[in-house]
Amino acid sequence: MDARTRFIILMLTPATVLLLGLTIFPFIASVAMSLSNYSMVTPDSLAFAGLQNYFKLLQAEEFWTALRATALFTVLAVAIQLALGVAIATFLHHETRAVPLLRAIYLLPMAITPVAAVFTFRMMLNPSLGVFNYLLKLVGLPPQDWLGTPAMAMTSLLIVDTWQWAPFILLIAAGGLAAMDEEPLQAARMDGATEAQVFFHHTLPALLPYLGVAIVFRAIDAFKTFDIIFVLTGGGPGVATRTLNLLAYKHGIEFLSMGYAAAIAIVMLAITIIAAQVFLRRMRMFVPRAAL
Amino acid sequence: MRALRSLTPFARRLALSAFALWCMFPIYWLAMMSLKTQVDAMARRPKFLFAPILDNYLTVLSDPAIWTYFANSAIVALASTALALLIGLPAAYVLARYRFRANADYGFWILTTRMTPPVAVLIPFFVMYVKTGLIGTHAGLIVAHVAINLSIVVWLMKGFFEDLPGELEEAAAIDGATYFQAFAHICLPVVLPGIAAVAILAFLFSWNEFLFALVLGGNDVRTVPLGLYAFVGYQQVRWGELSAASIVLLVPVLLFVLIFQKQLIRGLTMGAVK
Repeated sequence: MDARTRFIILMLTPATVLLLGLTIFPFIASVAMSLSNYSMVTPDSLAFAGLQNYFKLLQAEEFWTALRATALFTVLAVAIQLALGVAIATFLHHETRAVPLLRAIYLLPMAITPVAAVFTFRMMLNPSLGVFNYLLKLVGLPPQDWLGTPAMAMTSLLIVDTWQWAPFILLIAAGGLAAMDEEPLQAARMDGATEAQVFFHHTLPALLPYLGVAIVFRAIDAFKTFDIIFVLTGGGPGVATRTLNLLAYKHGIEFLSMGYAAAIAIVMLAITIIAAQVFLRRMRMFVPRAAL
Repeated sequence: MRALRSLTPFARRLALSAFALWCMFPIYWLAMMSLKTQVDAMARRPKFLFAPILDNYLTVLSDPAIWTYFANSAIVALASTALALLIGLPAAYVLARYRFRANADYGFWILTTRMTPPVAVLIPFFVMYVKTGLIGTHAGLIVAHVAINLSIVVWLMKGFFEDLPGELEEAAAIDGATYFQAFAHICLPVVLPGIAAVAILAFLFSWNEFLFALVLGGNDVRTVPLGLYAFVGYQQVRWGELSAASIVLLVPVLLFVLIFQKQLIRGLTMGAVK
């Protein structure tokens, strides 16, 4: 083995050990559990169940409802936060006054503990006592039952998630904008391109590699959001905002049927891996740019 | 057309200010609630003007539990951030700078740790932790948070290392430096602002993490998010005290972010100075 290979292996060893212990073991344990009827309520009747949990899951109405809610939440949350984050980052890039102050303010939502943020929103969204409805009335709009109907509950979740995480996209987009080569933009403007054309033909494509990482992490996190939904709607009203993650939590941690919960988790993992593989290949994010 | 041009900076500033208001409003409202009596907090018409009281803060601060939450969070977040950097930086460097066969697969493998639904990790962890006695200990929660943060450390740092010019290592090799010296003495110092930025993000993720802390830390190692959740109680939400506790526990993080925001921005905008 030459020195270069040895160096690569040594540098990857700590991460590999951690990953083996913390991902491979839980993964194998989860797969094994998903193929069993393991329940902490009746641990003695442990038996191999084959694909029973998966069949049961795929036939359950609650699984498809949860999948729809999860997909809707993830797609809308990432799309809204991406548009908002990039727009504000672009505005900020052209701004000259009070930039450090604005940046500090924009970081606030990410710093606050989600649980505290969600409680604050719960107070503000309260139909009779909350400030949201009070402000709506002030401007002459009808008050809303923010958490009472399925559509409004989903909207409220998106509002809270966007409040907290649009700044994450903004931060990474701002980094990309600062690193960007301005010359092609100036050249395009000289050729008479409008600001909108410059943005869509030059700025946005140059930003894509940066946004790629941001989108991947935001989409993965949105797909398995827990605290915001748990505290704000608890999955309700009814099961309207019960995502796959909450469904798995309910079966695993509340009902202690680990086998069934593990099957939900494995299905979630499969969906994420496939989606991420497709996305990363599209974005060509696997090619090391400076390779030795 | 000229009217439109002169309008643009105004519209831009309007959008930037509106977004700033939107970011601040919930925190402002939280601060207001923390200064209200229960009666004022529950007023049918939300009160913008009221007689502020400090009772909520006195109640919260006289409860020794809040200092325990704070200490628990600080220990777990600092230790897990440091460990994630120690383990993640070498891996990120190699993945960014060296071409080898399993490179892309290894990178994806690290990313899958973030994809794994928490329940899939939690249940085996829970069983393993109960068996090894790690349940309800700082060490157990630290290890779990390292696992959560490793992916973001590796993937963000990979980007910073990729942006370095290839001549760095070439020059180091000519000077007779080993591969490791080129990494530790040449490349690491250059990406220091990036490390600071990533460290802040990892710290925030760990400080705010709820689910693993709930299941693995339990009642023994209660972190800040769990301490806040405890205020909701079983019968009635004590809004005033909850808000005061949230503000108290937010202050150190805010200070941390405000002090390091320059590093955070500089780190994420490193490309500009290369």
